[in-house]
Amino acid sequence: MDRTKILNRKTKTSISYKTDEKTVLRGYDLSELAEKGYSFYDAMFILFQNRIPTENEEKMLKYEMGVFLEHSMSPSAAAAIGVITGRPNLPTAIAASIMTFGGVHGPGAAHGYMLNKYLRRALDEGKTIDEIGKILVDEYLDAGQPVMGMGQPQHVDSDPRAEPLHAKQEELEVEGIYLELQRSIEKHFHARREAEGKKRVGVNVVGSGNTALCDIGFAPNAAWCIGSVSRGYSCATHALYSMKKGRAWAASKSEPMVQMLDLSMIKYVGPDDRPVPTQEEREKYAKRQKDEGEYKKWVI
Amino acid sequence: MGDIKKNIGNLNDPRMPYNYAEREYGTVPKDTKRAPFQWVSEIAYKNVHRIVTRGYDTTELMEEGYGLVDVLFINFQSRIPSANEEKMLNYIMVLALEDGLSMPASISRLVGRSKTFLTQAAGASILAFGHAYGAFSAFGNRLEEYSEIGDKENKTISEIAEIMVKEHLNDEGFGISGLMIKDPAAKRMFVRAKELGVSGKYVKIIEKTVEEAKKVSPEPVDLDMLGAIGATMMDLGFTPEAIWSIIAITRSFAAGAHYIEEVEREEFTKFGETLTPKEVYDGPEDRPVPTLKDRAKYAKSAQTHSLKEWSDKLSKREQNYGTGYRIHEEIEDPSKKT
Repeated sequence: MDRTKILNRKTKTSISYKTDEKTVLRGYDLSELAEKGYSFYDAMFILFQNRIPTENEEKMLKYEMGVFLEHSMSPSAAAAIGVITGRPNLPTAIAASIMTFGGVHGPGAAHGYMLNKYLRRALDEGKTIDEIGKILVDEYLDAGQPVMGMGQPQHVDSDPRAEPLHAKQEELEVEGIYLELQRSIEKHFHARREAEGKKRVGVNVVGSGNTALCDIGFAPNAAWCIGSVSRGYSCATHALYSMKKGRAWAASKSEPMVQMLDLSMIKYVGPDDRPVPTQEEREKYAKRQKDEGEYKKWVI
Repeated sequence: MGDIKKNIGNLNDPRMPYNYAEREYGTVPKDTKRAPFQWVSEIAYKNVHRIVTRGYDTTELMEEGYGLVDVLFINFQSRIPSANEEKMLNYIMVLALEDGLSMPASISRLVGRSKTFLTQAAGASILAFGHAYGAFSAFGNRLEEYSEIGDKENKTISEIAEIMVKEHLNDEGFGISGLMIKDPAAKRMFVRAKELGVSGKYVKIIEKTVEEAKKVSPEPVDLDMLGAIGATMMDLGFTPEAIWSIIAITRSFAAGAHYIEEVEREEFTKFGETLTPKEVYDGPEDRPVPTLKDRAKYAKSAQTHSLKEWSDKLSKREQNYGTGYRIHEEIEDPSKKT
């Protein structure tokens, strides 16, 4: 093992190179791409897939990135606003917003890996797409797990972007095996909830948007990158609004509305107030506390 | 709550601003005199069935054929761009997407080596954008400032350019440098902006500033990508902070691809794995650690009590890298000036 490699290694990359004369992405001069009229969406295909897309694939990505960009108050926007209240440099707030995308907020990679896993199983087990869709739904629900791509806590009647994304994919004729599987998942998911007497839970924007990204050739992590970084743009505007038109610290008493970090916004549900033991009392106190074990219910 | 102790440490010192022993416990009651907290935004809202940015339903925007590039104008400027403005921003974003193994890509790759989520690496890449690398806010605010001075003092573009060159030629974020002498991409951007009819006073000022810089610079200089993108986007109506954000985020897509490639091609790095060879170390020679008993003999206190003593000590401290004494800067509130 070369333990000095971060300092010394020569990194190889097949993504791009840059010389005094030009910057080249997957073999294409970036300036030439722009001069010849290729769009930013085309460049995404070159970056992540090493190819120029069809016109309809480009249109699909344009729709997906545009519709995903703004989502008002989600964890990402809240993070950007929260960070900027301390007035650090703007990029920190944007970075924080993108970093909120994890296993629950816009879990694009996880959804893509789930689809790939079950498609692989369909192949290995000789199942149809529809059969594997039902298996997926049953396995997730039997295990008490949410089915990725279904449900959104704010858009309880289905995300307003979700079904239009499916429809656009069909209109542009860029639907493939992923949309077939996703539709099957939705069908069996709705049927099972209906049979169990539960309220209908619609497809969310990951279930629809990520499906489209999979069908137009993006790997799960590439799709995740596209979704979460697109959101970064709107989070930048939310941070800028707070920075330029809001009050730093978000706790001012002179604002007409109670602020996000006003002291009265704090609700405490932890251990009761208690005196601090002196150093002389410390050993006895600490032993009793550990023996009683009440503290364990607070350990996180 | 047990007995309240009256004397803890220094807390009964009479210089304390209030009586520490009698401070209240418990949280602050809800403030019912003012309106309750809400997320106030002039950017966007959503309800159960709609997501609306600056008044436009986002799903309807897409159904009408608008895309992400249009929404950047809507979000940052609250307006629908002309087709040529959209084309120009598209052009800029293609060029801004990738820059080889420069800092955002390198940061993303390093973070990825720790076995993180992709979003951690892509987010971290944005932190590379400061006031030297990707200095779009510094560039834009300067350009705005000198443009305003020109307007107020009735100066010609040539005069503004001359002053800017005189005062800032060697700044990292000047937008004119020796970086793109052989690469025509930055200059082509201005040509395209003119073809599309979207160039304006900022492109003019920077073009003139390039001319002035070429006259006085001892080294060959020309328009670089910072200057080209900055001036063109300002003519498209974006604020310096908006440009800073948009370009940093645009580069972050490529940083995501670099994360992916790093994970695909390299192994993860374990905690404590990376060695730093002694050849790259130029700090104090290896020396024995004194026993705690001998500590008083070795240790020297940091306190100084006269200005002369303070100044002498500061000079000595400045000789050591990594202590922070060699950096002299003022941290300003960036909401006033980024």
